[in-house]
Amino acid sequence: MTGAAQALPVALLLPGQGSQHRRMAAGLYGHEPVFTEAMDEFFDAAGPEGGPLRDDWLAERPATDIDHVTRSQPLLFAVDHALGRLVLGWGVRPAALLGHSIGELAAATLAGVFAPRDAAGLVLDRIRRLSAAPPGGMLAVAASTAEVAPYLRGDVVVGAVNAPRQTVLAGPDGPLDEVDRALREAGFVCRRVPSLSAFHSPVLEPACRGAAAVFAAARKNPPAVPVHSAYTAAPLTESDIGDPAFWARQPVAPVLFWPALEGLLATGDHLLVEVGPGQGLSQLVRRHPAVRRGSSAVVSLLPARPGPPEADRAAVAAAAERITAAGWPAAPASGDRGRPSRRAAAG
Amino acid sequence: MSAFTVEELFQIMRECAGEEEAVDLADAAEQEFALLGYDSLALMEAISRVERGLGIALPEETVGEVLTPAAFVDVVNAELARSAPVVEAAG
Repeated sequence: MTGAAQALPVALLLPGQGSQHRRMAAGLYGHEPVFTEAMDEFFDAAGPEGGPLRDDWLAERPATDIDHVTRSQPLLFAVDHALGRLVLGWGVRPAALLGHSIGELAAATLAGVFAPRDAAGLVLDRIRRLSAAPPGGMLAVAASTAEVAPYLRGDVVVGAVNAPRQTVLAGPDGPLDEVDRALREAGFVCRRVPSLSAFHSPVLEPACRGAAAVFAAARKNPPAVPVHSAYTAAPLTESDIGDPAFWARQPVAPVLFWPALEGLLATGDHLLVEVGPGQGLSQLVRRHPAVRRGSSAVVSLLPARPGPPEADRAAVAAAAERITAAGWPAAPASGDRGRPSRRAAAG
Repeated sequence: MSAFTVEELFQIMRECAGEEEAVDLADAAEQEFALLGYDSLALMEAISRVERGLGIALPEETVGEVLTPAAFVDVVNAELARSAPVVEAAG
């Protein structure tokens, strides 16, 4: 009991658009039972679209580009959620969840706000709407929101505040290219985010208009664990959860990841566990003073870069070891992974 | 001519990331940039600042191939050494 009493509370971080890649987490499929079951449940809930989604997820050469909204969004949601379930299956009881972009919907689902099958329907409704939206893109800039402000115009807006000097812009391709050029000429370093849509910009507003009715019809429950929202930079409230427009507007509204992270770490130190493809959020949160000082810590479940299936499994095994070393006795040693350890959780 | 140091690089990296606090990190020079919280965007900006500050051009493959602060400093110092004789000849 002494180890558990001293363990840092766990916060799960769920990444969003930009972190997707071909065969993300596919090395765990068929190897980690809890993860596999959660993925299969998602594909089953997706109905006729489930088969093609699964095929493209596992394919070396997907029929539809993995960066396309119809692939990136549902697969990120499913992988984030299934990895979260995997960690819960180890007996880890998170104290908080924080998702980036589509990751917030996965976080809300893990917290029990939406039933997984209902959430699958909500995600599919969202992508059907978004796939009809005009093309656009996203641009990461090594600059603060104040530094980029003079360059914004028209539909090119701040789509995400990732860190004090990492701001993501979003907008239609042509105007975004012009802003990109102007920023580079002024000496700023910019990089395109893998996205074929202008997420978190007004470009998607018309496409999202009808989504509120779908969210209004979905059954919602209070979260079992606080979900720190990257839209309000505060834990989800009852009124956020009950407001269909709050959910419907998430693809249009800016992601305030860093302010939400500051809010989370202001409640105390955490073991931050990234449950999603890549290590993008892990890299960002390492810049936080609490992590720099070592009072909070970071664990990533998956490798930083895409690799062979064995690399996914090795990364999960290493993460389980680190979570165990951090004082969570319920995280089983490798070889026993995926088996729910009720006895450990109860003790 | 003084060499470029790891301390100078960390000062630049903190400016690139917008970090206000300087925290001494154990063995940080040998750790990968990613594990220090610096992604390729931050590294690209650091390269740009170092190039402008020292008036040198670093090899294009620096972003992909230089993984640690110690390796970055070595590349910068190699470039400074390579360009140094030219400066002396001119002076």
